[in-house]
Amino acid sequence: MTRTALRIIAGKEFSDHLRSRRFHLLFAILAVVAAVGMITGAVQYTKDLSDYNAVQMIAEGEDDPTLAGNLAGLMRPSILSAYSQMGMLMAGIGVVLGIAMGFDLVTREKESKSLKSLLAYPVFRDEVINGKALGGVGAIALAMGAVLVVSVAVMALFGIVPDLDEFVRILVFGTASFLLVFTFFALALLMSTVSKDSGNALLYSLIVMIVLSSFVPIFAYTPVYSAVFGDPPAQPGTTTYSYQQGSSAYMVTTTKVGVRASGDAIDPEALAEYERASREYTNQKRTITDIVTLVSPTGNYQTILGAASQPAGDNTPGLGSLLGALAYNLIALLAMPAAFFGLAWVRFMREDIR
Amino acid sequence: MILCDRLTKVYNGIPAVDDLCLEIPAGEVFGLLGPNGAGKSTTILMLVGLIRPTSGACSIGGIEVAAHPIEVKRKIGYMPEDVGFYADRTAAENLDYAARFYGLAEVERKRRVGDLLALVGLDGVGTTVGGYSKGMRQRLGLARALVNDPEVVILDEPTANLDPRGVLDYRRIVRDLAGRGTTVLVSSHILSEVSKVCTSVGILARGRLVASGDREVLSRAAMQDRVTIDVETGNPMPRFASPEILSAEFSQDACSARIVAESDISTLIAKTLYTEGILLRRLAVEKPDMEDILLSYYTEGTA
Repeated sequence: MTRTALRIIAGKEFSDHLRSRRFHLLFAILAVVAAVGMITGAVQYTKDLSDYNAVQMIAEGEDDPTLAGNLAGLMRPSILSAYSQMGMLMAGIGVVLGIAMGFDLVTREKESKSLKSLLAYPVFRDEVINGKALGGVGAIALAMGAVLVVSVAVMALFGIVPDLDEFVRILVFGTASFLLVFTFFALALLMSTVSKDSGNALLYSLIVMIVLSSFVPIFAYTPVYSAVFGDPPAQPGTTTYSYQQGSSAYMVTTTKVGVRASGDAIDPEALAEYERASREYTNQKRTITDIVTLVSPTGNYQTILGAASQPAGDNTPGLGSLLGALAYNLIALLAMPAAFFGLAWVRFMREDIR
Repeated sequence: MILCDRLTKVYNGIPAVDDLCLEIPAGEVFGLLGPNGAGKSTTILMLVGLIRPTSGACSIGGIEVAAHPIEVKRKIGYMPEDVGFYADRTAAENLDYAARFYGLAEVERKRRVGDLLALVGLDGVGTTVGGYSKGMRQRLGLARALVNDPEVVILDEPTANLDPRGVLDYRRIVRDLAGRGTTVLVSSHILSEVSKVCTSVGILARGRLVASGDREVLSRAAMQDRVTIDVETGNPMPRFASPEILSAEFSQDACSARIVAESDISTLIAKTLYTEGILLRRLAVEKPDMEDILLSYYTEGTA
């Protein structure tokens, strides 16, 4: 009976999403973006492949072995570059889709006064929140699956058939896209459980989304990083002149020119100290950047997307290495929605029904 | 059938329901009366398993609600005061969704939904619930409370938004339920409604049950064992001799009197006047109406 109640609620939620006008609109935009992105990518891919083939022919006839080697070593274009472009667009629309699907799941029940009746049926409270999450996950999976199918269909129309490695990378891209949307869906669900009405839930979801997607990554920008954690160590025996080339609210473009202060030889100890401090600074910056990326779902998504859409070549890592390198990002992209959903679950279980 | 044993619910240190002891036998139509904030809805929420008591327990059909909420929820039908539905679905779809939680097969659900919509006069209404009036929602709420053919029906302010026709339908449905042996608990502040359908009542004030029983018992209790009898005659009446009489006030011409007695001695007065050959023009026993009873208990409960 318990599983039945969960299935009934999940089924209704899934059906509600598919009947919802906002889902139709966002899904249509997502599908159009996928189709247009893939068409553009496929056209570009065809052109790049043609150029690549032309270069390879030149390389074969080149007498200079160094130039021939350089030309032959160029990476073969990959259709995955189209996914990279599509992914950038989807990062924006997918986030909105996730929030749109989740922000009023609980508040709508409160506002329509149906929550009390629903909980008076023979259901456990956790079945209600789990059912809502399952219904949403199902609808997101359907939407992302459909987008993936559209993208592969567009490729097929252009006569492009991905090989196994590319296909697996496309699946990695699809999974990451799904997790990104699910992260913001879980965030919106959490806000829906803590808010009194849908308006506030939407507002809080957008605020947290902005913090995670735009505010947190600011700390990885070099000027902000320097302002917070200090400038990189100066090379011994040089004087650094900095001048500002341009600035905006968050970005300052600064050019630094190092000038040797004198013609004296640099003290080897000072140079060693500089190298050590420089290494330490770089490592610390990398750690901070990694942490910032892990905290930001869009940062994780873009990292995964960048790695997965890297063209396959002799020097590119295999799939196993790729997944290994992305393990932290994948775990973070899984952990964040799990944390949001966990909090939503606890909050809903403690919800005061009056 | 319904039992509350020292049931208590405290919100932020303030008891909404305080040590409530209540027993409603099977087949009874019980009215739970009380002013706003008396604890009626909180009591009901504990009975339907939506909130847990701070202390004490309640049970329905011998099953403790807090320990076995699912079993209890299967036995009961509940209509909340602020009845709500999925506005983008029709009445039939809303009822069908509710019926699915009780494990009814599709054929049975269809039959039951059709019957219930006809029962509450909403058959043939094809629009979504979003376009319903408050009264229509209330009718649908009543139908939903009956979707599982419950042993116990709990209705919180069931006639709050109903038109006169709706009220008549509601009374008919509650009487039908009572006739079939269903236990009905009605919480209401519309006293006339409670007195028309309920066989017994309980009065809550400040979370406490200040009185319970049938209407007669409550009336007597409210009058503190005193009955006032107004007598008017065509010619002067004699002084009545009865140990039950506590006080008597006569007019100057002795043609009207107001008698306060420990019990209803109107028959004795009529007989005396008849024997004396005095023309009786009016003999009225003042019994408190439900409003008076309720107000007297509220005053007592909040004192």
